[in-house]
Amino acid sequence: MAINNFKNLEFSVSLFYAMQKDNLSYVYRGFFNQQITDSILSLTEVNLKTEEHSSKMKKRVYAIMVEGLQNITRHQNDTAKISNNNTHGLFIIKRNEEKYYITTGNATEKTSIPVITKLIEKINSLNNEELKDYYKQVLSDGELSKKGGAGLGLIDMARKSGNKLSYRFVDLNKDDTYFYLHTIPALEDITISDFNKIAKESLDNIIEIHKTLNNEDIKLIYNGVMNQESLKGLLQTIEGHLTEEPDQKNKMFYIVMEMLQNIVKHASNPNNEEGGNPGIFFISDKDGKHLLTAGNYIKNENANELTNKINNVNKLTEEEIFKFYDESLFNFDIDDTKKAGLGIIDLKIKSKNQIGHFLKKIDDNYSFFSLQVQI
Amino acid sequence: MNSLLLEKTSDTPYVCLDSENEMFKISERSLPENAIDFFKPIINWFAEYSKQPNNQTTINFELEYFNTSSAKQIAKILLIIQEMAKTNEVIIKWHYSKNDLDMKESGIRFSKLINANFEFIETK
Repeated sequence: MAINNFKNLEFSVSLFYAMQKDNLSYVYRGFFNQQITDSILSLTEVNLKTEEHSSKMKKRVYAIMVEGLQNITRHQNDTAKISNNNTHGLFIIKRNEEKYYITTGNATEKTSIPVITKLIEKINSLNNEELKDYYKQVLSDGELSKKGGAGLGLIDMARKSGNKLSYRFVDLNKDDTYFYLHTIPALEDITISDFNKIAKESLDNIIEIHKTLNNEDIKLIYNGVMNQESLKGLLQTIEGHLTEEPDQKNKMFYIVMEMLQNIVKHASNPNNEEGGNPGIFFISDKDGKHLLTAGNYIKNENANELTNKINNVNKLTEEEIFKFYDESLFNFDIDDTKKAGLGIIDLKIKSKNQIGHFLKKIDDNYSFFSLQVQI
Repeated sequence: MNSLLLEKTSDTPYVCLDSENEMFKISERSLPENAIDFFKPIINWFAEYSKQPNNQTTINFELEYFNTSSAKQIAKILLIIQEMAKTNEVIIKWHYSKNDLDMKESGIRFSKLINANFEFIETK
């Protein structure tokens, strides 16, 4: 009898609910490199294309992301004297009610607090014209940053956003602090005090989320529409993970590919969202294992069949499952139907583990379905 | 017969099926959203080729990744090859990266199910 030991699957539902009001949220926590940066940019671009209709806003968001991601890549190893689970670099973009919230985070030594604070306060005190002049001045002096350009990056982010930069330092230990930089690209007609209020609340919220990310050791969350393009973007992120053993990375690639393609092809889209089916996908680590979790809507009428199918696959012995795989592989009659289920069989074979699943009824028509694979 | 040449994309493989120059190769990645549509011309090509194949045919599968819906279509191709192998000499060369034992495993499974000559080639 299969024992389902995926106790935290309910977590995927609560995570989805927490993010549901956002049209898009993407979280990456870990090591940053060029490939990761590129994948985050292309993934966001896909969403910007379908969801954002103002081309000015698209450009702003994109430009801020480029600078922000460069900043983390440059400063992620800056420095915390003690590295642990809480010192990973962080990137979060959220879109909610037409507003974008872009946050980057990295650990740094407390000694750098005055330098960064002074720089950001200076930037925030300048208007657009003054910022332009200041940019030129820094460019010609080049005195601000030993690493070349960090100061420029911040000035540029402020210019591109059309808003003040929000930031916060949260102590990690006696030597180290965590630096959050939070940007909300231009909101029209808003007073400074209103803006400060929005920025403070949203940054408080991000810092709370970050605690959960650290506690659950979540490396990545994608919440948004799933289509072939976002699938490719997420796969690129998996490939960019330099920390993985190659064999493990390949395995992860296969599994993520099947899980996401399931959503692209089979998930329901209750509110007829543009560009794809809504879903959530996240990667977390637990006891040295990777947990890959995907969640999406399904029609209640299909819930039983899906649950039975997975339970059935979970019960099979290794020998039986290979036999079942071969049968399904050569069963071309069910090519076009959703019954094929080869993907689910393959998930079990590749992960060599039970497949976790969790169903939560939403209303008379739809349920939220989560699938979890452990490697 | 006409050759079939498809350039790779970010989710579909490179395909070169050229009987005149004896080049038969499917490589890179196969994770299309609609594998049935993508593979249809490839399967048709093999069906046509199998009517009058070369005396000897070596088919190279050098895939980096493929999804399960592509696996079904590859199975269709292999079934055609199996028929061809009854009357003509056919070798299936299954390439896999030494870092990707799942790809090797997939090839071994196919070789057990298909009555044809498989060779396994480990690459970097």
